[in-house]
Amino acid sequence: MKKYLMIAALALIAQYTRAQITIDRTKQPNPGPAPVLKINDPITYKLSNGITVLVVEDHRLPKVSASLLIDAGPVTEGSKAGVLSLMGNMLNEGTRTMPKAAFDDAVDRIGATVNLNSSGGSVSALTRYFKTAFGLMGQALKEPAFTQESFDKLKTQELTGLKSQEKSAKAIAARVDNALVYGKTHPDGEFETEESVQNLTLQDVKDAYAKYITPSRSYLTIIGDIKPLDAKQLATEVFGSWKGAALALPTLPEVQNPGKTEIDVVDVPNAVQSEISVINLVDLKKNNPDYFPVLLANYILGGGAESYLFMDLREKHGFTYGAYSSVGSGRFQSTFGASASVRTPKTDSAVREFLGQIDRIRTERVSDEALANAKALYDGSFALGLEDPARTATFASTILINNLPADFYKTYLQRINAVTAEDIMRVAQKYFNYDNTRIIVVGNASKMLDGLRSIGYPVKMYDKYANPVGQGGN
Amino acid sequence: MHFSKHVLCALSALAFTGFVARAQKVGFTEYDLPNGLHVILHDDHHAPVVAVSVMYHVGSKNEEAGRTGFAHFFEHLLFEGTDNIKRGQFFKIVSANGGQNNANTTQDRTFYYEVFPSNQLATGLWLESERMMHPVINEIGVKTQDEVVKEERRQSFDNRPYGNVINDIAAALFTKHPYHNGVIGEMKDIDAAKLDEFKAFFKQYYAPNNSVLTIAGDFDVAKTKELIAAYFGAVPRGAAVVYHKVEEPPITKEMVDTAYDANIQIPAILAAYRVPGRDSRDSKVMQMISSILSGGPSARMNKKMVDEKKDALQVFAFNYALEDYGMYIIGALPSGGAKPANLLSDMDEEIVKLQTDLISPEDYQKLQNQMEDNFVNANTRMLGIAESLSNGYTFYHKDTNHINEELTEIRSITREEIRDAAKKYLNTHQRLVLYYLPKAKASN
Repeated sequence: MKKYLMIAALALIAQYTRAQITIDRTKQPNPGPAPVLKINDPITYKLSNGITVLVVEDHRLPKVSASLLIDAGPVTEGSKAGVLSLMGNMLNEGTRTMPKAAFDDAVDRIGATVNLNSSGGSVSALTRYFKTAFGLMGQALKEPAFTQESFDKLKTQELTGLKSQEKSAKAIAARVDNALVYGKTHPDGEFETEESVQNLTLQDVKDAYAKYITPSRSYLTIIGDIKPLDAKQLATEVFGSWKGAALALPTLPEVQNPGKTEIDVVDVPNAVQSEISVINLVDLKKNNPDYFPVLLANYILGGGAESYLFMDLREKHGFTYGAYSSVGSGRFQSTFGASASVRTPKTDSAVREFLGQIDRIRTERVSDEALANAKALYDGSFALGLEDPARTATFASTILINNLPADFYKTYLQRINAVTAEDIMRVAQKYFNYDNTRIIVVGNASKMLDGLRSIGYPVKMYDKYANPVGQGGN
Repeated sequence: MHFSKHVLCALSALAFTGFVARAQKVGFTEYDLPNGLHVILHDDHHAPVVAVSVMYHVGSKNEEAGRTGFAHFFEHLLFEGTDNIKRGQFFKIVSANGGQNNANTTQDRTFYYEVFPSNQLATGLWLESERMMHPVINEIGVKTQDEVVKEERRQSFDNRPYGNVINDIAAALFTKHPYHNGVIGEMKDIDAAKLDEFKAFFKQYYAPNNSVLTIAGDFDVAKTKELIAAYFGAVPRGAAVVYHKVEEPPITKEMVDTAYDANIQIPAILAAYRVPGRDSRDSKVMQMISSILSGGPSARMNKKMVDEKKDALQVFAFNYALEDYGMYIIGALPSGGAKPANLLSDMDEEIVKLQTDLISPEDYQKLQNQMEDNFVNANTRMLGIAESLSNGYTFYHKDTNHINEELTEIRSITREEIRDAAKKYLNTHQRLVLYYLPKAKASN
């Protein structure tokens, strides 16, 4: 008996000895060969009413999801600010044939999720219930109940929500940043107020619905445990005969950045931190050759925890828990912005550091290591993103919406990896403004205004709805 | 309109009876290294991604009195560096190789992970084995992380709307059990700790025999076993961790408390009850009760309070399930000027209904569908699967296969059990009522 045990024990040891491969733990192991990334294009159909249907077949899980995107582009609401969001919420309040309670019950009963909003909606369900759930989504979109009772309820909720944000420096900053950069009459600069929401009527909601909920310029993506032909048939059954207004993308007037850098301050006396944004408009279409260098330049400046801003404002100076930058792209003007919430007494010091780091990426050649790391991060994120079956559908719809070449995502990494240090400096100078930018600070002015004035740029005061209030206050 | 509703009910009833559960099985292999490290491998070659994770069976409930926040602080400390990884390089190595990483700490366990493109699997194993084998624990690291954790506390609790709700509830529901303290703890306890205490904590809880290494994704099982033996085999076994659960005396009298939060404008009303730990059948029953009360727009609290009475902006009911006990929490935010006390009586009415009447067969069937949908959605990413597998081994008596059994258990729970659990745990004399109210923010 004992002998057998010994043999067994030896066998065990032997197994582990044999398994032992040599490693050197003083060094990072070499990576294996780069994985081959497969991007399977979704199957695409076009319905006669204009809806583009994209299907990604994936049978790993017994579920199917779908989303509808109505591409109306930026919409100017004007005095009706808030109407689109309210209209979107109203689509979740029952249909002409099913009051809200019955509709909700029908969705929950099958364990599904259906959500509608002002630019479409989404549905997800177990495979065996998908057809039912998809039909319910279609019904909600095509035949909303639009009752006065629901409208009143949602309006009260919206007003309660607005009130809850009244004193939040973060919420005020989000509103004021866009209002100042785009202007308050621009669709990206306008915002809802208690007054604009108070004045909305059910008829306003109905009017917005008639204009913006339509098959025109719509993309329907269906992903999961379903055959493409079945998906097409279902899409045709539910949406094939749907009619609606024709949409055209708006043309927006070009907005200018300020001629010279200025500091715009909003006083929020209860704030314990200052919300700082250094922000300018950019015009960067995804098919612009600058697109890839700009992505990397932004990452190096402020995309992560190894980036210039984080290393300087948090790690070196401890002004903030995090400082980041971001840059938009697409068919319309968007923004580049660098921002952080900083301790009030360090507001002017933080502004100087922001400007210093923006100047650095514009004038100092990026190190080979920083550039290589940024590329590696994009390579990795791209691979990791493929875990999500919805990703390839997003690729396809982005290509269609932005009119990009069909191989845009297939050559994406190739083009990321072709970016040089010279490219980084060139695009930083072009897109990350220094001499003609806006520094927007929202916080307790009595504790930081003198400091900001000492920087040397003109200081302008605004109220929390972005209206000018005199020349620098005090 | 009534007609269509009935037709729909009949149709889904039909669909349900004809349905045979299509098992969506998560496959895995598991074994122990000679040093006691438990290894779980789940290979899936759909996308070129691999998740490497280690779950240490240590959390805030293992902390000694006067040393709250230790477990979470320690999680931060273990990113400082190792004998072979210089200080500050841990995150850098991960992102420079295209990966993502992080860690989190609960009352019961600490979970570290990397998600890499699959050709970087060895780097993930190297990083985690370095952390387990010989992390550098020194004064510089303690000082640095002390500042970072203070900022995290401000950001995640003190400056976050409703950020201290869970801590307030735990403090009231647990009088003897270390769940009383919450995870973030008091900074003064960290400040008071000596370096030797941190070293001792590592030795006591971060041994391979107190942890689970789970890898999920695109890798070769045989080769990976060799790599695991090479990287982790050399880590010495530690003394067995001895843990004694502290029994709480039953709550016999309703507690009513008020807390103030400078970050909110809308009050919240909450009721919290103590329930059994996550490995119990009743813990699952409570999860089902959450779905009945607030799982979806037709759930009882949503329908009544948000849609019919319109006095709530938002309602919620959930089981905060932990290893030794759970906290069952229900609550609401008022809409317009509604009074919190009125919302409480609305919620109480729903609980009494659950205690008195069996849920209808239709509601029961709805519940089953919702539970199945939740389950399918929970296991879509490699990292999520890795964590679920580790949870099974760590919290369900070494039953890694729990991931595949959970739905069957849920399906076996009856309507009577749901009523009985509501009767057993959700009584007014067993709870805390918490009025969580806005406080004027002092300017500084």
